[in-house]
Amino acid sequence: MIEINQLTKTFTSQDGTPVHALGGVDLTVNDNEFLTLLGPSGCGKTTMLKMIAGLQGWDGGTITIDGKAVTGPGPDRSMVFQNFALLPWATVMDNVCFGLRLRGTERRAREERAQELIEMVGLSGFESKRPGELSGGMQQRVGIARALAVDPQILLMDEPFGAVDEQTRRLLQEELLSIWERNRLTVVFVTHSMEEAVLLGDRVVLMSARPGQISEIVEVPLARPRSSDVGGLERSREYTEITAHLWDQLRSMHSEHRAVEAVR
Amino acid sequence: MTAIAQSTTPRTSRSVPRFRLGGVGMSALSLTLGVLAWELVGRVFALPFFPPFTVVVGTLMEMIGRGDIVGNLAVSLSNLVAGFTISLVIGIVVGTAMGRYWRVRAALGVYVYALLTAPSLVFAPIFFSIFGAGQGSIIAVVVMYSTFVMIINTASAVQNVPAAMLEMGRSYGASEWQLVTRVIVPAALPTMLAGIRLGMGRAVLGMINGEMFIAVTGLGRLVTQAGKSFDGAAVLAVLIVIIVVALGAVGLVQMVDRALTGWVPDTSKEKS
Repeated sequence: MIEINQLTKTFTSQDGTPVHALGGVDLTVNDNEFLTLLGPSGCGKTTMLKMIAGLQGWDGGTITIDGKAVTGPGPDRSMVFQNFALLPWATVMDNVCFGLRLRGTERRAREERAQELIEMVGLSGFESKRPGELSGGMQQRVGIARALAVDPQILLMDEPFGAVDEQTRRLLQEELLSIWERNRLTVVFVTHSMEEAVLLGDRVVLMSARPGQISEIVEVPLARPRSSDVGGLERSREYTEITAHLWDQLRSMHSEHRAVEAVR
Repeated sequence: MTAIAQSTTPRTSRSVPRFRLGGVGMSALSLTLGVLAWELVGRVFALPFFPPFTVVVGTLMEMIGRGDIVGNLAVSLSNLVAGFTISLVIGIVVGTAMGRYWRVRAALGVYVYALLTAPSLVFAPIFFSIFGAGQGSIIAVVVMYSTFVMIINTASAVQNVPAAMLEMGRSYGASEWQLVTRVIVPAALPTMLAGIRLGMGRAVLGMINGEMFIAVTGLGRLVTQAGKSFDGAAVLAVLIVIIVVALGAVGLVQMVDRALTGWVPDTSKEKS
């Protein structure tokens, strides 16, 4: 369980004015929950994800995982990056092995594990290709396989499908659902797409900007498994209502923001 | 880096096949023209210190026959290899440290830039007094010539490794050493190698200067002797050997480059 208490972070912008990236956020992520963080840009959703990952510090408040305070990256968490962050010189196999290699897992064991995951994400036959030879969608499959290879309890995903085209994105969403339905990891998934947030999440955490805060948490009552009938689900009344509601909220945030800008 | 576009643009249909030169063909053509111009200028103007190409090649063959070249070449190459190896190690280690740690960069940057631009031969008397008039001094000059350009290139290559890549490494629990060896240096390698190529060129320059002005040995000695006896053909003959050494050395770096950085997509790589 991830518990976030009164988390605050203030950056100083270039002209010296303080920017409240996070203004006292409280959030609990349950075990085996798929939680999506949704919000306009600048709401601090990625910042918060990196704090959970232990990659970024904060000013006030606490983050604990199963009662232990987060002080840096740990083997219980792994991250999937927006721009894939693959090693361009390494093959698919070596990229997937990266985390295991750092931990000193011996070669046979790590390649066996990597092979399973390469098959799971549908990249069999591409083991010796380099990222430059793969499409964006395939590169992110490598990113997902790499993250799963280290057997994390928590998967942190930072707009993982933001850099791929719409059709690929939909396929990857379905695949992620079906992977998750099997392993049921705790997932924190950052996105700016309300459709994606609803389709994937058990709960959608809607955040607002300046300061970054949670404005609403929406339960998604859609039945699981969802991967088998994504189309039907997207036509369901619940799905339509929740996405419409989220868009209303987001739109009002955007117009408030415009009004604030206009006053300045 | 600018990429030289491959000729992928469809040409207007033309039935006559056009003769197009590849990179090797272009170099060969350029060399042939250069040699012809040399021959022509040498013959027409009959300058005492600029004999025609054929005469110079004749002199070179004579010198090889007398055994002047091989022994001296071996001496020069050993100076080059020793000096360049030392430079390479210093360049990579110091350059990586400067690129990675701002404190090191702040502390050493001023020296590195000062020594990059300082005329390296100014230090010759100092080396002379430390290492004596032997191989040590020449190696020191080679190091002086080639190290700093490699340090600076490595430092900027390391600094330009994308932040996302470092974040990724840290997120998987990489130690600082793992981060440097598994992420930073491999990512910086293509740019580092461009600096290493420059460093190799400067190392050859340092070798010749060292051999001409400090301890008179190797190819540098041959040039000096020929110059003193006003033998223009011999000077140019040794110069040809030096150029071949330089091209060979730089070619070697390029071969290593291609072997190590085959992963860099062609579109972002300068054709060499």
